Amino acid sequence: MPKIEVSAEALYKYMGKKVTGQDFIDLIQCAKAELDEENGDVLKIELNDTNRPDLWSTAGFGRILRMYLGGSVPEYPFFSRKGDMKDSGDRIVDVDASVKDIRPYEVAFAVRSKTGITEDGLKDIIQTQEKLCWNYGRKRKSIAMGVFRSDLIKYPIHFYAADPDTTKFAPLGFEEEMSLREILKKHPKGVEFGHLLDGMAKFPYIVDANKNTLSMPPVINSNYIGAVKVGDKDLFVEITGTDMPSLMLTASIVACDFYDSGFEILPVKVRYPYDTPFGREVTVPYYFQEPVTVDIKYVNKLLGEKFTVSEAAAFCQKLGSKVKVDGDIITVYPAEYRNDFLHSVDAIEDIMIGKGLKNFVPEMPSDFTKGSISRESMLGRKIKNIMVGLGFQEMAYCYLGSAADYIQKMNITPEKVVQISNPMTENFEFVRPSVLPCLLNSESISSNAVYPHNIFEIGKIALIDPSENYGVKTINSLGFLSADKEAGFNSVNSEISALLYYSGVEYELEETEDPRFISGRCAKIMAAGKEIGIMGEVNPVVLENWGIQVPCTAGELNLDLILENK
Amino acid sequence: MDIDIKNLHPLEIKLLLNFAEDDITADKVNASLGFEVGQCNQVFSWLSGKNLIVEKSRTLRTIYELTDFGAEYQAKGTPAERILKLVSEKGAMTLPEIAQALSLENKDVGTAFGALSKEGIMAMDGEKKASVKKAELSETMKITRALLDRGGQIPESDLSDAEKKVMGGISKKRGAAASPFKVVEREDVVYGFTEAGIAARAQLKAKGVTGEEIGVLTADMLKKGDWKGKTFRSYNVKTPPTRVLMGRHNPYTVFLDGIKDKLVSLGFEEYDGPLVEAEFWNCDALFMPQFHAARDIHDVYHIKTPTMAKEIEQPYLDRVAEVHKNGWNTGSRGWGYEFDRNFTKRLILRSQGTVLSAKQLHKAKIPGKYFGIARCFRYDKVDATHLSDFYQTEGIVLGENVNMKTLLGLLKMFAVEFAGATEVMYVPGYFPFTEPSVEIHVKHPVLGWIELGGAGIFRPEVTKPMNVDVPVLAWGIGIDRMALMSLELNDLRELFSPDIENVRLRRGK
Repeated sequence: MPKIEVSAEALYKYMGKKVTGQDFIDLIQCAKAELDEENGDVLKIELNDTNRPDLWSTAGFGRILRMYLGGSVPEYPFFSRKGDMKDSGDRIVDVDASVKDIRPYEVAFAVRSKTGITEDGLKDIIQTQEKLCWNYGRKRKSIAMGVFRSDLIKYPIHFYAADPDTTKFAPLGFEEEMSLREILKKHPKGVEFGHLLDGMAKFPYIVDANKNTLSMPPVINSNYIGAVKVGDKDLFVEITGTDMPSLMLTASIVACDFYDSGFEILPVKVRYPYDTPFGREVTVPYYFQEPVTVDIKYVNKLLGEKFTVSEAAAFCQKLGSKVKVDGDIITVYPAEYRNDFLHSVDAIEDIMIGKGLKNFVPEMPSDFTKGSISRESMLGRKIKNIMVGLGFQEMAYCYLGSAADYIQKMNITPEKVVQISNPMTENFEFVRPSVLPCLLNSESISSNAVYPHNIFEIGKIALIDPSENYGVKTINSLGFLSADKEAGFNSVNSEISALLYYSGVEYELEETEDPRFISGRCAKIMAAGKEIGIMGEVNPVVLENWGIQVPCTAGELNLDLILENK
Repeated sequence: MDIDIKNLHPLEIKLLLNFAEDDITADKVNASLGFEVGQCNQVFSWLSGKNLIVEKSRTLRTIYELTDFGAEYQAKGTPAERILKLVSEKGAMTLPEIAQALSLENKDVGTAFGALSKEGIMAMDGEKKASVKKAELSETMKITRALLDRGGQIPESDLSDAEKKVMGGISKKRGAAASPFKVVEREDVVYGFTEAGIAARAQLKAKGVTGEEIGVLTADMLKKGDWKGKTFRSYNVKTPPTRVLMGRHNPYTVFLDGIKDKLVSLGFEEYDGPLVEAEFWNCDALFMPQFHAARDIHDVYHIKTPTMAKEIEQPYLDRVAEVHKNGWNTGSRGWGYEFDRNFTKRLILRSQGTVLSAKQLHKAKIPGKYFGIARCFRYDKVDATHLSDFYQTEGIVLGENVNMKTLLGLLKMFAVEFAGATEVMYVPGYFPFTEPSVEIHVKHPVLGWIELGGAGIFRPEVTKPMNVDVPVLAWGIGIDRMALMSLELNDLRELFSPDIENVRLRRGK
């Protein structure tokens, strides 16, 4: 979830009203936002809707609050539309065919103000850029944005794939020129984002008509055109990436923010030698969103209400969309900076928020349904009760562990143990193949607890099993362990006998060899021709591995196989 | 003074009842009550500890105690007596002959003969045979005999000067095994009753306690009927009991079972599923686009081998692929990207319980209510508020007549049932698979305002590919904090504590 920091004063200006305290907390729910922290003028806001990147800036957040408080839906006249391209003058970006397979899209626009960008404004645009590129653009992988001093640019701008060794420029914060490849090694941003260019023979690169470098996206701006400072009046914004609609939406969001803070928006024409979802030539900012229609009957069915079509339309409009009503049908034209209407249900949510959740009266579901716990839970409970009756303490364990605990200390081979390929630490690298290591771990740290120790757990284990569709079988398993000077095969045999008698399982024991148990004191538990479990005296090798100095007996039962026979 | 006579041992009771006078000594007690060795001092110590008797004086005295060796002399005679008797009857004999006849050591015979000849009672003749000169014991020997005959414990104070002298020769303080008497130095302690002791005696008498009451009721007594006509010793019911190591359910699973039972009582049917899942069910079927940030490598655990499911069930795979691409027939425009059918087969550890709902949809009854308490795995650093694996409680409600208002009603019921909530607040929420979405915040009687969970109506992009055309309410509630409170813990890791003593002592509410 993105978090932004905003100046309360600046926010109130965008809202057109000062709202504080609990009223503010209640109000920002309409943006699915929470006030994380309030520190003087600085508000830390958490935004929960990852499909609403337009809210991740002071201007965008202020905008929705202003509208929700009753403000009008703003007009953004600078948007081009299909068949209505705005004048872009000489502002042209030419995309070269060479980037098609490495970073195929770029969009851009310019802005101008008489007063120049303020310090707060600059801070805000940097934060917006970070949030958009990090949270919405997957850490610059799919979206990277740069802001430049457009008074230094001579159009047309060229976006192409450059040779990383012969192409050189001075990256932001550095005076000397470096090759693109050197930048990846020497510049902090190069080090941080260089992996995004892994495997590319040539790197994405942007220059103007004077061959002055703008940037090497998605890594770093130049130190010349790319060094924006407070007071700059003419700025150029470009965004590169892999998904055209996301880029276009990002451009729209940033353009609307600049517009709301008093800038004039100057469209830029971007030309492609190949097809894009918006054609080979597109003037940016560009309104590409499709309207969605929603039937009032569907609205009322999902919300359980009896709204009239005009009521519903009005609620929807409070969230910034333009609406048109025709009979039972509301057509919703998403705001320029939003692209989160995939289905009419998305409009229905806006209607719900527009109405205000607190105005919905909860009702109980009226359908009768029969409740039940699963057969697995039912058997689990039965077995648990018997184990408790046998004097065992039930335990509950984590399911992830280390090779040391699950494999080495258990004296087993690893081929059936499920391994995680991207573990966070080696302590949580494997899924447990048995309950027994968990029980032995308990015993190993509990020598100070009064003996005897009788413990068990019913839980899931997972084993590699090539016959399964997933190649892994999850099993409901009972594991139990006794640690006591008296514990021996005879006692565990008695426990199994009682357990299976009361569980209604007919079984036989067969001698078997298992490295976890003492040879000759270990038995397979056979029922209906299948091995449903194992038990015996724990091998002293295993006990020593765990640092246990009390004799232990243990057993494990596959509860799913018991259920199969029932 | 308040005395609990139930704290008195039968021996204490006997002592209290049987000695009215004020100078109680071990000798007197042993003599009249026949206590065993050591019992008397034990009782004195107990009673002193309870302040029922008090020490009045203490004197040191010497006692001569007949040893086993001495007891043998007492019965068979001393070697000197026996030699005199033998030779008197059988005539002169050599010392070795005497030793053999009396089964004595040569040196003992030699010593005894030496004493006899010194007193002029016997003498050695030319043939080295001992013969009797004067058939009468010496004074010392008579005194010895008298002392042996008295036997037992002889206080030094009872002895005449002559006896003392003789006793000095036949007693030893240490290593007395070969001496007839052992010198014992004893402290004679005289006790008197305290006021409390006198009051205790009065209480015992008033209640008719004798110290002869039955202690342990044995099977033998029951068989023979020995208990009849007797009374039973009262026990102190406040004595701390010994610890029982019993079999027990884990309070955390009891808590979870309680949640299950509540949901069952509300008409929900339980579902379950495997720990290892395909991306398809974990994410794609829930309409999370394959480029979604939550699906990055650092957010879910991937399986090393095998890496892919063999296949994904049809027709769901085709439908979901279309839904992502263009919305299929759900009325959605979809995410507009080319669905990766390989990626969707990738195996991961289940990261959200909602996967169970996704899999239940195509086999669900309508109307229907389902729930699961699912172990899920998260790519999180383990600390007091994060675990690598944990339980999520989730469910769905399917029906032609369910809607946002019934969802709010359901959540309100959960709030009351699970959190004992006094107030409930709903706020708009965001989840990739529900629209509209809400979060429920509740005012918990102890924890204050907490987020109880999230819910919403499944997107048609989720339900339609699974053949479900009615609205489906989906909810998830966070019960960890309530579990911690119920178990009086404050660290999530404690829920899965491997420490046996910890778990044994843990109580649920």
